[in-house]
This record gives sequence, structure tokens and C-alpha cells, in this order.
Amino acid sequence: MSDARVLVVDDEPQILRALQTNLRGVGYEVATAATAREALAAAAMRPPDAVILDLVLPDGSGIDVARELRSWSEAPILVLSVVGDEAEKVAALDAGADDYVQKPFGIDELLARLRALLRRAGPSTEPVLEVGELVIDLDKRLVTVGGRRVQLTPNEFDLLRVLAQNEGKLMTHPALLREVWGPAYGTESHYLHVYVSQLRRKLEDDPSRPRYVLTEPGAGYRLVAPVARS
Amino acid sequence: MSAAAVAAVTGVIFGLKQVAPVLGLSILYLLAVLPVASVFGLAYALGVSIASMLAFNFFFLPPLHTLALTDSANWVALLVFVVTSIVVSELAARARRRAFAAAEADALRRSDAAKTAVLHAVSHDLRSPLTAIRVAAGGLESGSVALGEEDRAELLETIRLETARLERLVANLLDLSRLEAGVAPARRELWPVDELVSRALESLGPDAARVEVTLDGDAPLVSVDAGQLERVLVNVLENALRFSSPADPVELVVGSTGDEVLVRISDHGPGLADGDVERIFEPFEHGRTGGEGTGLGLAIARGFAEANGCRLWAEPSAGAGAAFTLALPSAAARPTLVR
Repeated sequence: MSDARVLVVDDEPQILRALQTNLRGVGYEVATAATAREALAAAAMRPPDAVILDLVLPDGSGIDVARELRSWSEAPILVLSVVGDEAEKVAALDAGADDYVQKPFGIDELLARLRALLRRAGPSTEPVLEVGELVIDLDKRLVTVGGRRVQLTPNEFDLLRVLAQNEGKLMTHPALLREVWGPAYGTESHYLHVYVSQLRRKLEDDPSRPRYVLTEPGAGYRLVAPVARS
Repeated sequence: MSAAAVAAVTGVIFGLKQVAPVLGLSILYLLAVLPVASVFGLAYALGVSIASMLAFNFFFLPPLHTLALTDSANWVALLVFVVTSIVVSELAARARRRAFAAAEADALRRSDAAKTAVLHAVSHDLRSPLTAIRVAAGGLESGSVALGEEDRAELLETIRLETARLERLVANLLDLSRLEAGVAPARRELWPVDELVSRALESLGPDAARVEVTLDGDAPLVSVDAGQLERVLVNVLENALRFSSPADPVELVVGSTGDEVLVRISDHGPGLADGDVERIFEPFEHGRTGGEGTGLGLAIARGFAEANGCRLWAEPSAGAGAAFTLALPSAAARPTLVR
């Protein structure tokens, strides 16, 4: 992973510099661009393994850059969005971005997202998935948390399976609904909210403070390995 | 309207002229003149006085049913009436102008006060974290300050905490301006309230550990903008946490009345005086003593709550901690999930 090439696109020189320093520090090869035009040119010249993309650029929107990149590249795109601009964020995800972090973000959060995006191109195909203390046996359809057996309904199990196969990645509402309930259920996101709250009650020690299944409001859900709480 | 008033007064005088001298009754026409003067101003009032005078002459002064006058005393009476009504009209019109000017001045003064409050809040609340960050960063880069490992960690922690404070301030100012400009449309979806609560606890960060939560797994779903309701809950919780000692928990209880889902947040802080339960929802107000925030959080919380059809209020409870209740209208029963 340390050789991965990351293209960072942001028009703010201080942010560009801080990101560049931090990304190089953990071993990535970094290219930078300050405008939409520069970004597309840089990506065309040497295709990156991942793109970190600011949504507000002087010569256009990052959404257009995401759409253009997605038309010929499979490289994951991590969008930098601004708090409160939910619509912008969702539009970027629709245009082909894979995930987002909200400005102002912490570098740990950004690195974690980037790692998850680079880990594998597609979902995991392992027969047994382990996330923190959570173990999911796909063949036997068995789930345990810290050794304790958890009874799930078929839909709950499928939801957990899809989330776990994409550990750390943002799974949008439409993507989850399609994978679990089928293509006819693209917009029934309240089903998802209810199933997730049910799933949490079975998996989490404290369902009001979920550590595995996290909500990304307006966008979707992600399954993560819990971090130790301070 | 003025014609109707004149006619009505004429009718009243017809009724009264049996019991009182008719000349004295002319004063009753002022009842028609005064309201006109105070609402529409002097010019209209003059018209109404002349109409009144003509009506009085026509109906009550001999020779009746003509505009001619025989008695010179009646001339004097009419003249007195017209002069009185002009003076009264002018006074009423002046009072009206004065009230108008006063209201305008008041509005200006209030918007000035709001601006001053914003500037004050911004200059103080922006400057103090900026100073802290600058001093900490300066200490870290200075060659002349000898720092141990612990000191460095402390300075870095200062920078982290103070940037978080700036972040919250900017987010609050932005939310407030969006709310006041009406550019924060609610993107409503059906949500279980537990989801909204857990999301709010997550964005509270480490302080969330001090919140004791009781959820209601059977409460109906609500139709709200999850992001905006998260701001409501976070701001009310932050307020409760700020006003209670670190040793005391803040309690959050979800319940349901059928029509509404209620989220009650209570603390063990100093509580609220009767007069403060509404004032604390005004921007830049510090209801409770010892407030160190900008006084924006609760104003924003109520703004977003109302934009989503919810109600948010506080209950007076001096000495016994404060209690806030958020009432969300039920939108749908929880679907029963068989699979």
C-alpha cells in the first residue's frame, strides 16, 4: 500500500501542503492539483490509485471532476465536503465519488478512509469475516460478537454481510437497499433505518452508542472495527 | 368607512336628542373623526369633520333638512365643532406619527444591539481560541523555550481543543445565518428516534460518556431531517453538559405519547429561573449564569426543531437542574420486520 499514488486536488495551498506532508509521511506517493483542469490533466498523465478531491474548485465543481474521472478510471475518489452541504455531498456520491470526509477533518480520519478505499477494489470474498470482535461465517450464516452467538433475521444477516464485506467503506442507502432487498427497493431508506436500529440492538453493547455500524446522515452506513473509547 | 361612522353617529344623536340639548351632542361626531385621524392622518380627518358638520346641520339644526342656518348661535356651535375636531385630529395624527417613529427607532436599536452582540461574540469567541493556538504553536516552534515531552503534548492538546471550539463557533454562526435567511430546507425522511439520538451522541465526542440514555424501541417513526435534528440534540446536550458538574450525569429519555415522540434531556446544574425559560432561546442570550458559550446553541436548536415541525421548550426548575423537552410528531408506526 505504501507505494500507492494519491492525487490530491484542493485550491487552498495550506491544506494541500498539510495533506501532502501527512500523506508522504505515511508512505504514499503524492501528486497535487489546484484546479479542475490540472486535476484531470494530472490524472490522465499518470493515473492515480486514489484521488482526494475538494468539491469547491476555482474553475468548476469537484462533482464534475468526479464524474469525468469515473468515466474512464476505477480509482477510488474521496471527497472533501463542507459541513452543512448535504446536497453537494450526495451529488458527489451520485457522480461516482466513493466516500467523503467533512471539513474540517482530522488526519487520522482521512487516512482511515483512504486505507479502506485502497484496501481492495471490490468487496471481500472471504468465507469468514472478522471485524473487531464480530465474526460472520457466510457459509453457515452464523454471527458471534465476542464469542456470544447472535440470532439475526435473514434480512438483518444480509445487511450485516454487505456492510462487513465492505468494511470501513461508506455504503449508500441505494446500494444497501439494492444488495439486500433487490433492485425494486431503491428508495425505501426508512426500512434501512429501522433494520439498522434493530441490528444495533442485537450487536452493540450500548445501542445508543454504536461502535460497529455507524450512520452517515443523508448518505448511508459503514461498518467499522471499534476504536478504543477514551 | 368614514361615511358609515358619520351615519352611525347621526343615528345615535337622533336617539339622544330627546334627553339632551342637541347642540351639545355635536361633540359626538368626534367619535367618527378621532379614529380616522389616528389611522389615516389629518387630511382624511378634515374631510370627516366637514361631512359631520354638514350632516349635523342638515338633520338637527333649524331649518331642518336644509343646509341653511337661521340662528347665529348655531353658526358658533358649528365653528366650535370644526375647530375642536381639527385640533383633536392634529393631536391624534401627531401621536400616530410619534408612535410610528418610536417603533422604527426601536427596530433600529434592536438590530443595532444584535449587530453589536454578534461583533462582541465574534471578537471575543474568535480571538481567545486564536490566541491560545498562536501561543501554543509559538511555544512548540520556539528554540528558546525548553519543553519536556509532557509540555509538548499539552500544547498540542491545546491546539486541538481550541480548533474544535472555533469549528463549533463557525458551524453555529453558519447555522444561524442559514436559519435566519430561510435557506436551510429540511430534507425529511422517516427515522426511528434512537437513530437520531445515537448519531447526536457520536458527534458529541468524548463528552457523550456523561449522558445516560434510555431509549424506547417501540416509539413510532418521525419524519425529519436527520442532520438538522442531530444539531438540535447536540446543542441541547452541550448546553446541559456545560451547566452540570463533570461528576453529574445528564439524562436523556425517549418516550412516546402516541401522537408525539418526546425526548427529555435533564441535567443537575443550577436550573432555570421562571423568567429565563423563553429568553434562553434568543440568540446571544446567556440565560444561566456562568455561560461561556456564544449563546447561539439553543436558538439554533429551536430554529431547526421548528423547521422540522417539532417543538422544543424548557421547564423552570431553579435549583433542581434544567429540563428540556423535544416533541417530534409521530409520522408512521414502526414497520414490523418479519424477516
